[in-house]
Amino acid sequence: MPLSIGSQTKHVNMAACMSENGSDKKLEFFLKVPFPSEREATIALQSLSPDPEPRKGGITKNLDVSGQTLSVRWTADEARILRVSVSSFLDHLSLVMETMDAFGPPVSQ
Amino acid sequence: MTVVIGFEGSANKIGIGIIRDGEVLSNPRRTYITPPGQGFLPGETAKHHRSVILTVLQEALDEAGLKAADIDCVAYTKGPGMGAPLVTVAIVARTVAQLWGKPLLGVNHCIGHIEMGRLITNSQNPTVLYVSGGNTQVIAYSERRYRIFGETIDIAVGNCLDRFARVIKISNDPSPGYNIEQMAKKGTKYIELPYTVKGMDVSFSGILSYIEDAAHKLLSTGQCTPEDLCFSLQETLFAMLVEITERAMAHCGSQEVLIVGGVGCNLRLQEMMGVMCKERGALLFATDERFCIDNGAMIAQAGWEMFRSGQVTELSDSWITQRYRTDEVEVTWRD
Repeated sequence: MPLSIGSQTKHVNMAACMSENGSDKKLEFFLKVPFPSEREATIALQSLSPDPEPRKGGITKNLDVSGQTLSVRWTADEARILRVSVSSFLDHLSLVMETMDAFGPPVSQ
Repeated sequence: MTVVIGFEGSANKIGIGIIRDGEVLSNPRRTYITPPGQGFLPGETAKHHRSVILTVLQEALDEAGLKAADIDCVAYTKGPGMGAPLVTVAIVARTVAQLWGKPLLGVNHCIGHIEMGRLITNSQNPTVLYVSGGNTQVIAYSERRYRIFGETIDIAVGNCLDRFARVIKISNDPSPGYNIEQMAKKGTKYIELPYTVKGMDVSFSGILSYIEDAAHKLLSTGQCTPEDLCFSLQETLFAMLVEITERAMAHCGSQEVLIVGGVGCNLRLQEMMGVMCKERGALLFATDERFCIDNGAMIAQAGWEMFRSGQVTELSDSWITQRYRTDEVEVTWRD
């Protein structure tokens, strides 16, 4: 699905699936976000990972960088909780991207 | 020469300021104002901040005439405050700190107010009354901590004022407290309200319930005007604040009072505190609305002090927190 910020359209891969585990139905959601460089993907990771989920239970979120891609993985007990968390994350992600567009590119290290 | 940029957005004000060695180079700010009768909620406030933050950031740099390379440190509000707005602002601060290759510093919002007050007024070692919509504390410095001598045991004094303003539908522009202050000047009748000082501490939620109830009864029967209620509420709340400030001063043998926080703009509060100070031969310090209302420069100033004394916040430790006590911070920049 395309995530458009200004003139840049990034194609973001999303997948949701339900895995049955006896009586436990856990929902899973994956997101892969490409960045122009590994450095920028890492910057996004470090900006988006420090804050804990507002809701303590019922959801987990894991962020990781591999090459130029930021990948995010959620597991949740209920669709409603998952939806709120993903929606909130996408808002924050687009804020990071807009900030990078306006105040980037990263300085050379 | 040390230049620090500070990001503040813990309540409905979003401000970004730049300080260079005690000089405020820029301090732009925007306020999220809700219609009369409504308060500001976390989600909507965060949305407001998100929509203006990058513009305000550019303004801060332009007004200071600086580029990213000129900044030495990026400071932001770690807490306390409302979760969603804090996160929005922290995300931008973290991102620019990394883009620009600068160290990050998480600042306690209350300490931001105190350090800005000290910078602007040049007071030496005052008893601090910190009063705003979110906080009400009496603070004094001792051995590397800002110690809380007295505080509200329930809601902040500014919260009491703001919620009363909603009941009688006072405008929130520029702030409900400012409009209550203007109306209070025209009040003529004193309505007796509960007076709830609890030793070193204060309580406001009882007064709020009482005056909400009284407002409905007295206004509908025409026994008093909204101006009379504003006047009576201010007199009661502020007398309580003066009492607990004086109590702390007596404990510390202090001869200086510094009022910080949005409610500190109130001239009637300053007047009443001034009377008490004069009786004790003490000096009163206060700042104007540029600095007593939440702003970015105050975070930059606290950040400047912290950075110069060797503190830095690692990105993994840069999480925001809604609860952050003033005395949790080690004040490494003072003896």
